[in-house]
Amino acid sequence: MILIIGAGPAGLAAAAALVRSGCQVTILDAAAKPGGQYWRHQSVVTGFKSARAAPYFLQLSNNPAVTYISGATVWSAESFQGAYRVNFLRADKEETIQAEKIILATGAYDRVLPFPGWDGPAVMTAGGAQALLKAHGVLAGKKVVIAGTGPFLFPVATGLASAGAEVVGVYEAHSPLRWLLSLPAIFRNPSKIIELLYYMKLIHSLGIRVNFGSALISAKSGLVTVAKVNRFLNVKPGSENLLECDVVAVGWGFSPDLSLAGILRCAQRVDSDGTVVVEVDKFQLSSQPNIWVAGEATGIGGADLALIEGEIAGLSAAGEKIPYRLSRLKSARQRFARALARSHPIPNGWQGWLTDETVICRCEEVSLDAISSSVFDLGANDSRTVKLFTRAGMGLCQGRVCSQSISEIVGNMRGCAVRDQERIAGSNRPIASPITLGQLGDGIGSD
Amino acid sequence: MENPDAIVIGAGIVGACTALSLINAGMKVLIIDRSTVSSGTTGAGEGNILVSDKEPGPELTLALRSRDLWFEFQEDVGDSFELEAKGGLVVAREDDAQLRSFSDNQSRHGVVIEHVVGRELRELEPFLNPEINSGIFYPQDAQCQPMLAAAQMIRRVIERGGALMANTEVTKIDVIAGKTTGVSTTQGKFYSPVVVNAAGTWASEIAQLAGSSLPIAPRRGFILVTEPAPQYIFHKVYDSAYVTNVASSNADLQTSTVVEGTRSGTILIGASRERVGFDGAMNYAILRTLARQATSLFPILRNVRLLRAYKGFRPYAPDHLPVIGQDSHVEGLWHCAGHEGAGIGLAPGSALLLTDSILGRNTFMDASAFSPNRFSKVHQ
Amino acid sequence: MNNPITFKFNGEVFTGLSGQSIAAALLSAGVRELRVTRFNEKPRAIFCGIGICFDCVVVVNEIANQRACLIEISEGMSIVSNQ
Repeated sequence: MILIIGAGPAGLAAAAALVRSGCQVTILDAAAKPGGQYWRHQSVVTGFKSARAAPYFLQLSNNPAVTYISGATVWSAESFQGAYRVNFLRADKEETIQAEKIILATGAYDRVLPFPGWDGPAVMTAGGAQALLKAHGVLAGKKVVIAGTGPFLFPVATGLASAGAEVVGVYEAHSPLRWLLSLPAIFRNPSKIIELLYYMKLIHSLGIRVNFGSALISAKSGLVTVAKVNRFLNVKPGSENLLECDVVAVGWGFSPDLSLAGILRCAQRVDSDGTVVVEVDKFQLSSQPNIWVAGEATGIGGADLALIEGEIAGLSAAGEKIPYRLSRLKSARQRFARALARSHPIPNGWQGWLTDETVICRCEEVSLDAISSSVFDLGANDSRTVKLFTRAGMGLCQGRVCSQSISEIVGNMRGCAVRDQERIAGSNRPIASPITLGQLGDGIGSD
Repeated sequence: MENPDAIVIGAGIVGACTALSLINAGMKVLIIDRSTVSSGTTGAGEGNILVSDKEPGPELTLALRSRDLWFEFQEDVGDSFELEAKGGLVVAREDDAQLRSFSDNQSRHGVVIEHVVGRELRELEPFLNPEINSGIFYPQDAQCQPMLAAAQMIRRVIERGGALMANTEVTKIDVIAGKTTGVSTTQGKFYSPVVVNAAGTWASEIAQLAGSSLPIAPRRGFILVTEPAPQYIFHKVYDSAYVTNVASSNADLQTSTVVEGTRSGTILIGASRERVGFDGAMNYAILRTLARQATSLFPILRNVRLLRAYKGFRPYAPDHLPVIGQDSHVEGLWHCAGHEGAGIGLAPGSALLLTDSILGRNTFMDASAFSPNRFSKVHQ
Repeated sequence: MNNPITFKFNGEVFTGLSGQSIAAALLSAGVRELRVTRFNEKPRAIFCGIGICFDCVVVVNEIANQRACLIEISEGMSIVSNQ
């Protein structure tokens, strides 16, 4: 049996490849329904090229070689007698599963930059607005401003507008002209051009205004401030504008979810855009024996790349050869992913939007002035020391939301680049999901 | 800084206390750390300032003086590191005879104790397992936020003319004719007739840089941190087995629970002890054992969730006593390290002992039990 | 996702649809604010929507820090903002 963790595009593609090769597969997934954040557990997937999800979903219910365990939140994993033991919570009970081979397809979540007012109740992530709509049929708000950077803002805008929300505007921080820096990557990925055209057409027909080179820089009960920004994200003075809305959906790209890979001690590296990713070889094999990693955890690249990586990981775990076609496609998609990062970078200018009172760590309510005082008065030189002094990043989310921002704020205050080692440490946590002390103590396999 | 009177290696709690003592005694102090303030064992500590776990002897004398010095340091530095005399409660599971004789002996040596049984115990800790009926309350036990304490002390040191060189690694202790002349670092040479080794778990590496040696090794410990919860725990609560474990030399894993609440609402659960070198791997079996022990003390914790777990490396010497005094081979090299799990509690007293020894003053206690010489005698 | 489900939030009775998360059901009933913060008592609502940020935590049937964006409503469920 080969264990797959995550039932998004990468995990499902890995399962399909394994089943084709005659392997038995078990898939663990935290959600109630499959699809991951991208296909969002719908019975009918909508959006660009959505029909391709159907066969992947079908294998979960009608293929005897596949055991699909939903609602399983993995909290830890460990190597055990030459295999791996994965411990998870399901319906409030701890269960464990052992496998010699594991494929991690743990995906990613929205990255959000702090700004004054981002801790107010009317601000949410773009992915959160998408999840509410697609998984629960609920509009995040009636009058919505969408802001941040990256192509993901478009499906969020079109989704909300199609469902009846008034989209006040999309505020994309960068100029589309940045894509001219990556023309060869675009030409090698014609399907991506088609996808973009699909959404542009939709945006046009829904009458959504897209403002490039503009960012949302503060929010306050029903009013948000947007402003023109340069390519470093510095606000152009005098360009500020007030808008009325009842909710703001912001997204600044994605952060890979590395908790499990980190717990299993898979080597990691810092990608060109500063995100930490798991290091894998051309077979998606990590530094640890018999652990493959596919999809966003190896670098943000979208569902197309995740599907390819998942298939490669599945084939490799099954001991099959990787067809040249797949490797070629993967390198084209990776090239596009690099172009994506180059076109939507997050330089430090956003820190100029912050005020002393801006909350940086939402869980522990640590403001910017507490962080600067720990750097300038107490000698903190990295996010770890800031955390020890201020509790920033120590709360319920364990720094998943703020740790990258804090590293960059501290680096900027000290005038130095954030070290890779610090970024990697900030992306790792020993407990992948909370578990009660009762469950932990009663635990199975604690010998 | 040019020509400091003393160089302190290590910006943890012991280095910070020592630097503050030295500067208050009129010396110009330079602190050097290969990372920054509180980045070693101090950053992994719970902030225990305990007298309850020490049996009569030099360590208890040091602990009692240190405990009071903590409050004196607070007056000097300011109320900025969450110092709190919250009191400790050691409970006995079944037979409390051993605990009673241990604590009675402590009380003859300056430790304040109160026997608590039945309802008194419930009043102190209403959520304690009803099957536990006897304990000793130690009102002197206190706690602080150790990372902030070290940082705030170093802040005062700098205000008083001292300096901190962070991200600076000592590459050699310079010695000429048996006397230290200062240190060579990744940021250049610094000259001083006095060098203090306050490198904690890494103190033996520093001793080696001077051509000397110290038998200080790491002893790994894990601490569990829960989600914020309502106040279920009002004091530091220990299983009486904790006391026997602290004094043990067994290399195998030992766990015995210490449970306490924090100001932020999280609950800390320690402490395991193992000698496994600097192995940083997470050991879930230890976490499970600690959880089992904590929930058997406080059944209400069964529904409180674990949020994170972290490890630290306690610096420990073979006889479990700290090393405080001048190196046996190198004049001017002073050690102040090896406090094992008691570094926070013992730091101010150790700093005072060391400062007075360096200045040739009378010390508040006989420090020979802590002398670095004690190891070389064994070897000879 | 069609059956009506009745639940309580801070003592008030609400109706949502089966399969909806607590946060989604409340939001469609016009309730955005789910709790106030521990230190500054500031209102918080659903933020990441996918169980990462723990901003939407509420007390569900007396168990604290439950993520309203993940937990599905069930008949008779009792939810309160803070402990």
